[in-house]
Amino acid sequence: MTQYLLLFLAGVAGSFHCVGMCGGFACAMGSDPRGPVATLRRHLVYNLGRVMTYCFLGALVGYLGVLLVGHGGESTPASLAQRALAVVSGLLMVFIGLQFFGFFRRFSPGLTGVGGELLVPALRELLKTSGIAAPLAFGVLNGFLPCPLVYAFAAQAAASGGPASGFLTMAAFGLGTFPAMLMMGGIGIWWRPGFRQPGAVPVSLHPARGAVLRSGWRVQGMRVAGGFIVVLGLITLARGVLPMTAHVHGI
Amino acid sequence: MNTAATCSHCWLPIGRLGQAREVNGKTHRFCCYGCCLAYQVHHGEHEEPEAASLLIRLGVGGFLAMNIMVFSLLLYSGTFSAADEWLAGPIHWLLWILATPLLLILGGPFMGGAWRAAQQGQVTTDTLVSIGVLAAYGYSAYQVVLGSGTVYFDTATMILVLFTLGRYLEAQGRVRAARSLVPMLAAERAEVRTVIDGKDTTQAVSAVQPGAVVRVLPGERIAVDGIVVEGRSHCDEAILTGQFEVQPKAPGARIHAGSINGAGQLLVRATSAGTNTQWVRISRLVREALARKSLTGDMVDGVAAVFIPFVLLLAAGSLWFWSGRVAFDQALLTALAVLVVACPCSLGLAAPLAITLGIGQAAQRGILIRGGGVLEKLARLKALAFDKTGTLTQGKPELATIVVNDATEREVLWRAAALALASEHPLARAIARERAAWGSAIPVAGEVQAHPGAGITGNIDGEYCAMGSRAFMASLGWTIGQGSMKADAEGNTVVYVGWRGRARGLIALSDPMLPEAAAVISALRARGLETLLLSGDREEAVARVAAALNIAKWRSELMPEGKVQALQQWTQRRGAIAMVGDGLNDGPVLAAASVGIAVGGATDLARESADVTLPLGALKSLPWLLGLAARVRRSILKNLAWALGYNAIALSLAVAGMLQPVIAAGLMAGSSLLVVMRSLRANRYPLVAVVFCVLGLEMITPVHADHARLQQVNRAFEAWPVGDYALTDQYGKTFTTRRVQGRWTFILLGDTHCAERCKAPLSALAGMYQRIGGTKAITTTQVLFVSFDPQGDTPALLQKYLAPFDSRFIGATAPWQTLKRLADDLSMSARLPESPEMVSAGSKSYHGSLLLMGPDGTVRGEFLPPFDVLLLTAEYLKTRARK
Repeated sequence: MTQYLLLFLAGVAGSFHCVGMCGGFACAMGSDPRGPVATLRRHLVYNLGRVMTYCFLGALVGYLGVLLVGHGGESTPASLAQRALAVVSGLLMVFIGLQFFGFFRRFSPGLTGVGGELLVPALRELLKTSGIAAPLAFGVLNGFLPCPLVYAFAAQAAASGGPASGFLTMAAFGLGTFPAMLMMGGIGIWWRPGFRQPGAVPVSLHPARGAVLRSGWRVQGMRVAGGFIVVLGLITLARGVLPMTAHVHGI
Repeated sequence: MNTAATCSHCWLPIGRLGQAREVNGKTHRFCCYGCCLAYQVHHGEHEEPEAASLLIRLGVGGFLAMNIMVFSLLLYSGTFSAADEWLAGPIHWLLWILATPLLLILGGPFMGGAWRAAQQGQVTTDTLVSIGVLAAYGYSAYQVVLGSGTVYFDTATMILVLFTLGRYLEAQGRVRAARSLVPMLAAERAEVRTVIDGKDTTQAVSAVQPGAVVRVLPGERIAVDGIVVEGRSHCDEAILTGQFEVQPKAPGARIHAGSINGAGQLLVRATSAGTNTQWVRISRLVREALARKSLTGDMVDGVAAVFIPFVLLLAAGSLWFWSGRVAFDQALLTALAVLVVACPCSLGLAAPLAITLGIGQAAQRGILIRGGGVLEKLARLKALAFDKTGTLTQGKPELATIVVNDATEREVLWRAAALALASEHPLARAIARERAAWGSAIPVAGEVQAHPGAGITGNIDGEYCAMGSRAFMASLGWTIGQGSMKADAEGNTVVYVGWRGRARGLIALSDPMLPEAAAVISALRARGLETLLLSGDREEAVARVAAALNIAKWRSELMPEGKVQALQQWTQRRGAIAMVGDGLNDGPVLAAASVGIAVGGATDLARESADVTLPLGALKSLPWLLGLAARVRRSILKNLAWALGYNAIALSLAVAGMLQPVIAAGLMAGSSLLVVMRSLRANRYPLVAVVFCVLGLEMITPVHADHARLQQVNRAFEAWPVGDYALTDQYGKTFTTRRVQGRWTFILLGDTHCAERCKAPLSALAGMYQRIGGTKAITTTQVLFVSFDPQGDTPALLQKYLAPFDSRFIGATAPWQTLKRLADDLSMSARLPESPEMVSAGSKSYHGSLLLMGPDGTVRGEFLPPFDVLLLTAEYLKTRARK
């Protein structure tokens, strides 16, 4: 259980990164003219869609991970292949985590990568529609936009030993990103109705959100996220490298 | 079918099954569902409700699909086993509940397409997909209602998702191919910045009238013909003239619509209406060109029309063939894979993509090709015929000499000029220029009649005059005259002028050859093409040009009908021949050739009827054009070969039962993607990534294979010895487990109230008995059914229960304690109820447990459901062989 708590915290830390890319979408989705409750519902549904995508990816890579190392249901704890998977996964996470600190930038895939160009202008259209289905669809599609944070946690999910645990891993991470994304969506500030023009990119911001977007905060936030990911990666690495009898507590 | 219509999204011809959609008030036609999708996604700004609802469809569909996949994955990986087994049932129901809206959301368009096709009496890939998905869905729903078996909702889901994705990718591929043509095709819808009363207003180009002032910003494509009023810049006119050097523009310079402005801002006064520019005309031509079905396209359409019913038959045949040999749901999956993997999409894509790209590349150089069929004919040419004047020569003849017979030079020139005004022929224009240079007034000729390629007749001052070639004079019956008239004018072009029944003078014009003509001709010969020179000019002139250019065959003094005849004769004897002319005076001649090529730009309606128009001065592009045609043809053939090969291999694999449906769908999507990538030579999505994805799919789906193709055996407690117990069999006799020594014994746990879970293994075992009945194995095999309800199950009941299966089966029971110890030995006690009283009320999880004991009295393993006769037999025999 502590493992998932750790992942949740890592998600909270990492969400400072989310704010940069996905925060813009959440802002643009804005507030529902029908009031704060409708706005809340909108953003919850949006984030639900987003997290669902992550959970699906988690289950998928968890399953693939198990397939790679042996048939599910018959895994022997000391399986060499499982440990190898943990090692690879841990290394990948450390690599991605260090990218947040600015190392290895050359190898990072384009952050607003290939699919993003196609989807982003089309996604903006969804923002203007009302109803539940639109934010859900938007969240689902949003979840597929390339993001190194997601990749890092997906690597963790792959080594977690099954689709169920993969699902839960990504769910923990996704829930961790909820607070920051909801805040960007203006939930914490719904005492200022009519603040947003739907569809417009924020130019002048409420001080709290502005602070988050200001580079100082963001860089710090990125470092914290990177740190968490590196720590998680090292733990996963240890799980693979150390003999099974030396059971690392809590993992 | 509307042959002149192009898809609003990808500009390719709309096949038989185009869809019409009302989008933002205008009716758009799309060639396929994918383009419909893609158009709305990318024109979101203009069609808000449509695009949004489409994306919602995709997003919500994706949400449902992901849920289905997650639960299916959890099921496959055995997360719900042992203690949580009861969850499997509710999860199946959940999967059904999720799959139904998904079927409607993502499957709706495919089913709609299939229905529309069916109404026209046709079958398309939509039909294949719909049948496949509905079959998988229906079978799975049936299984859920029955409460047994595996469900395949995830298969149906993945197929829908992959097909939708595949269609979208194809549409995007087509759009990218036509990307270079987009500005041209959108010429009529361009917007301009008109300056009215000093203010900039945005207008549609169709609203621009002559005299309007338009502001052109740096880097913009110019949308009007006009003259620069203010500003300096450079313009790129390559798309109109084929020249890549930028032209400097200053106030007073002419601006052409379609060119691209350079770094300076310009104010332009329009000289023609916005839709009356050459650019707009070219745009229409190109759009028509794209809409024309190529020969290959027609052939492919025909093949596809036969192919799809063939695939349906093949799928039905596979189902029939395999259902006798393997479990029914496995046969169903095989048939599904056959349906799904057959993809005439790549066949249909192969030609249009390459052709669009080819036309686009040519258009960038100002060369207009009037259709895909033209490109194909160009690739198959055996020879080219050339006109002389204006095509191989500069077309600006200059007066060399005037030789007169019995009139003055002035008289001859005077009459010639009057007649010449009525003709566009370069010779005529040269003469008119010359006369104008002399300064005197040119009389007006009445009743002027131009005989293209021959001469001009008219009435000057009441006299019937004529001017033209020697052949023309002869056809009028006028004598040429003797003496100086016969003087050879040194191979120059000669025009005779005559009145009152006789030719009275000749005007010799020299028409120098184009400098690049020689290079072009030798380049064509290097390609293995024959060249032919057809001209209406004098023999000496034509001979001189032919010799200079190394053209072996030439004919001179031909009237247009003669040229047509020459072309027809050639075509009959030797094959396809193209005619290159200026398109103005030889329209019918160009039409008589396999391909008519007009040099000089499409500024005239006459030229517009040619198959290919080269810009003025672009004779040198001719070898390039032929090279392009050859490249396009090779590309089409390669794509077709690839598509056919893929279909052949994939279908064979599918029919042989070696392809899972989801992989099949992935291969289908991948094949479309590969055809698109090959055509675009895109480097951004490497082949490796595609192969990787398909392999990834392969990894996910073998679960079906494992579950259905192999008998699952749990060998966790192998070689565990079983003690000896005394049971009472259905005949009242004692049965000791020592009797199992030396024999392979199947032990089945349950009781006579057990329905499906015991009957399934029993019938499988009975089937196995049938199969091995004639072999030696049967003598060392026995089946022991142990009932865990000693109070309820009397020997008579046991007998009655086992009778329908096989009389050799042994049914036995024993006191509860004995049974409990036996269960311990078999490691089954965890599944038993606590006490005999709880048997009827408690957990029945031991029901249907089937174990195999070896001749040495040790357990070899537990056979897991589902049970299939063939697979069970195979596994049993394998275990026997292993000892």
